[in-house]
Amino acid sequence: MSKNKGPRFRPALAGVLSAALLAAVPVGAEEVHDPLEPINRTIYGLNELFDVMLLGPVAQTYGELPRPLRTGVRNVLDNLRSPVTFVNDLLQGEFDRAGVTFARMFINSTIGIFGLFDLASEFGYPPHEEDFGQTLAVWGVGEGPFLMLPLLGPSTVRDAAGLVVDRAAFDPLARLGDTDIGAARAIGETIDTRHRLDPVIRDLRRNSLDPYAAVRSAYLQRRAAEIRNRRPPAGERGYEAIFREEGDDDDAAAR
Amino acid sequence: MTTPRRAERSAGWSRRGLLAAAWFFFLLPRPARSMPAAARFVDDLGRRVLAVLGDRSLDRAARLERLTKILDEATDLALVARLVLGRYWREASEAQRREFVDLFRRLLLKTMSDRLDSYGGETYEILGARAVDERDTMVFTRILRPQGEPIAVDWRVRDLGGRFVLVDVVAEGVSMVVTQRSEAAEIVGRSGIDGLLAEMRRRLAQSS
Repeated sequence: MSKNKGPRFRPALAGVLSAALLAAVPVGAEEVHDPLEPINRTIYGLNELFDVMLLGPVAQTYGELPRPLRTGVRNVLDNLRSPVTFVNDLLQGEFDRAGVTFARMFINSTIGIFGLFDLASEFGYPPHEEDFGQTLAVWGVGEGPFLMLPLLGPSTVRDAAGLVVDRAAFDPLARLGDTDIGAARAIGETIDTRHRLDPVIRDLRRNSLDPYAAVRSAYLQRRAAEIRNRRPPAGERGYEAIFREEGDDDDAAAR
Repeated sequence: MTTPRRAERSAGWSRRGLLAAAWFFFLLPRPARSMPAAARFVDDLGRRVLAVLGDRSLDRAARLERLTKILDEATDLALVARLVLGRYWREASEAQRREFVDLFRRLLLKTMSDRLDSYGGETYEILGARAVDERDTMVFTRILRPQGEPIAVDWRVRDLGGRFVLVDVVAEGVSMVVTQRSEAAEIVGRSGIDGLLAEMRRRLAQSS
């Protein structure tokens, strides 16, 4: 599935879409499977409202904190995620990547002081993220209908199920029960993600013709890329079809 | 007896010399001519854009004007617009097509103008290129930001018989053409091509 040449950087931008962290339809597939669109659009609208009224302003304030502090927060959050990534690396048979994840966890949790400093990256263990939605995709499970989750944003049936499994079964924090740490982490993750998505969200609101459709499409493409472990979409059938199909009526329809 | 030894030594030297030369070339920053033509095209484009963005003597309007010129030269917007409209292109009338291409271009320029002020010293790095079919090549790059993780951006370049044009930009796996196509299809499905054109005009009017 992921015979990459050499280690590929997976910018923690992966974490950027961590709410959007889960989907594998061939990129460019024309018909998006979204039978719940009316409900999804309603939820999208409510999420937008929540964002404008609360989350956006909070994330803005967060963005004014000194950068090293935010980087530290991000590192801690990433480190807390690594057990889930580790289990899913294993479940996908990606043993090399599992080794990298384990090394990261070990280095950053110890000399990285509870994950505050991402020293593992300096030592040549770059971060990546996996989740159970991706594992299911690797196992051949289709993504199912698109879902817009309240507060969490875009997802699919498969990815939402994966999220539940990750949280309930693979996440050590969940084992501690419903603690303040868990809640703080969830809130931190939401604010940090929102902050990093800010330019994208602004752009979407200003320039998108149909923001909901754009978010849906971007989410599905992004997930497909995650599942390919970031190989580019070039060569994917659905994607290539767009550029070929045009070629056929190119001559016929050209000016 | 000395001659062969000397010959041997000189052969040794020349071999070492060759090796050194090979290393030297290997260590050189990749010269432009070792890149496929499509990658060179993207590199050239990147240089020109950075030159404009980095030129402090230019005011915003002048900057925008130059970028617009670069954009018009480096893309065939009629072609990209057609890709974005997808199968609806065939259903569109001549007048609708013309208006769609025009609005598409203006919206793209508006987006560019919006993003202009967010430039903060980013540079790029060309990672490689791969031909996907007879005319299209994907050029893989990384946008390096002064702060934050690099962003993987792939450029789909089409060879129009010697002249290159950009046909798609894929940022972190998300293709501009695919995304806009999905938006266009959604709106056309709901309210027809005229509905799409109306929405585009509405968006344009909002900016000013």
